[in-house]
Amino acid sequence: MTSWVTEHTETTLSFDERKFTDFATVKEALIAQRVDAVFMLAPMAMQLRADGVPVKVVYLGHRDGTALVVDKHAAIEDFGDLRDKRIAIPNRFANQAILMRRMMRDWEMAPDSIQLLEVPPPEHPAALESGSIDGFIVGEPFAALAELNGTGRVLYQTKDIWPNFISCVLVVREEWIDEEPQAVQELVTGIARSGMWLESGLEQRMEAAEIAAENFYYQPKELLEYVLSKPPDRVKYSELGPRRDDFEEIMELALEFGILSRRIEFEEYVDDRFVPDADQAGWDLEHLPGTRHGAVL
Amino acid sequence: MSVALPLVVIALSVVLLMKLRWRRQLLAPVFVIAILVAVWQLAVTFVMSETNPTPGQTFSALASIFTSDQLWKHSAASLFRVTWGFVLATALAVPLGLFVGWNTRGFEALNPIIQAMRPISPIAWIPFAILWFGIGDRAGIFLILYASFFPITVGTMAAVRNISRVHQRSAENFGLSGLELFRRVVLPAALPQIITSLRIALGVAWLVIVAAEMVGMDSGLGYLINDARNMGRRYDLVAATMILIGLIGVVLDFLVRKLEGFDEVKWGYVNR
Repeated sequence: MTSWVTEHTETTLSFDERKFTDFATVKEALIAQRVDAVFMLAPMAMQLRADGVPVKVVYLGHRDGTALVVDKHAAIEDFGDLRDKRIAIPNRFANQAILMRRMMRDWEMAPDSIQLLEVPPPEHPAALESGSIDGFIVGEPFAALAELNGTGRVLYQTKDIWPNFISCVLVVREEWIDEEPQAVQELVTGIARSGMWLESGLEQRMEAAEIAAENFYYQPKELLEYVLSKPPDRVKYSELGPRRDDFEEIMELALEFGILSRRIEFEEYVDDRFVPDADQAGWDLEHLPGTRHGAVL
Repeated sequence: MSVALPLVVIALSVVLLMKLRWRRQLLAPVFVIAILVAVWQLAVTFVMSETNPTPGQTFSALASIFTSDQLWKHSAASLFRVTWGFVLATALAVPLGLFVGWNTRGFEALNPIIQAMRPISPIAWIPFAILWFGIGDRAGIFLILYASFFPITVGTMAAVRNISRVHQRSAENFGLSGLELFRRVVLPAALPQIITSLRIALGVAWLVIVAAEMVGMDSGLGYLINDARNMGRRYDLVAATMILIGLIGVVLDFLVRKLEGFDEVKWGYVNR
């Protein structure tokens, strides 16, 4: 959204977005300095910093927006029924994997009582359909896709089991922060404003689905509309500043589950100097001519 | 590491390579490897990158794979999948190739389809592999089967079509026809080329292991690469696994080449 917004408003910079299909490539593009900023799995960003790569988490892209989906016809009513089942996770280093382990611990289940399988997110619905897994936990739109396909049913939205769940975080190169803090600020503010706009009503969310479907993700509009509205708080675009408590909890869990190689302090991998300005930015609809009235690009 | 040591290694290796007598030719690859490793070290030093693994880091990662139980577990898992994929591909592709190569109508009907499916990367088949075979071994085996199927089909097909007219006619003059002709002339004449295609196909099967192990696996050398890519900055582990894949590939190729030594295979070479 931010990329679209910057192209259509009077900001001084515009951002080119690029879509990747797996996180390893995202990370490599960042390390190789081919991109300045990426959305990346939170634990992966921590490990990258722990390995000495000069990057910082500056903001979040969204909260929640992950669901635990099970086979529609399976007799699975709560987390306890997942014992001995096969559940796909997007990545061993994803916060979704940490969430599963956290739930197992809370339900007093042994860490190996659910079989977790790493499957690339786009393949989750197909894997469920083929019957080779009993469920999956992944970010949208893949949970919604399985629901709409009629193969899956949401057992839990993250908002019900780990409220304000963080999946991906905005990671930027430290060098970019040092050299062009203004540009980073504009990016962060742009994301904040996009979020505020998305949170301003259902009508805005439907417009966003249309814009995103047409310009960015090549996903059907209906799917994105579903993701953004069923229920409306399925994905949250507020409270996007990185909070210490959230991150330290993830860090401790990642360490405990062997995903992170060493303890790492919040200040080491987070730079939240861009948050106050971003949070203060209002969402002035007048600066986005036409969208409210359905004008085209 | 300083720049001096790699330079000395390069100079020494070049000198020794030039002075090698024919008896010591077996040593030549060792010196070439020494030169490559030294160049690698120099390149990493030169670009001053902390991300590119040095030979030292890579070899210590390799050592860590060797000393843990990971080596056996991951190599065995990959070899298991490659063996099944390759054996199934051979079982399907050799008969198909023989038929299509022998039967002109069959060739005309099937060759365009074979040629069109041949360049499709197994990676593109991943979603269907998962849909049909689920995640895990069977999907991976399917991808390996797919990749190695076409070199064998095309190789076998070409082998049969290349059989010299003289062989074929003289066999017919001796009264051979049908299955007998096939068994006693066509198959032996085509065998060397079929073996060559098997060799190529096994190379391809091993080549796609990284792609084949992207479908929900938790073992295998391809998985090890995918997993290391996701880990912070462990490109030493990626490079180490690449070396391991290369070494096992050499062994596999050596084993298939042994097939070429059998007497049954040898007579096909006579007309070359």
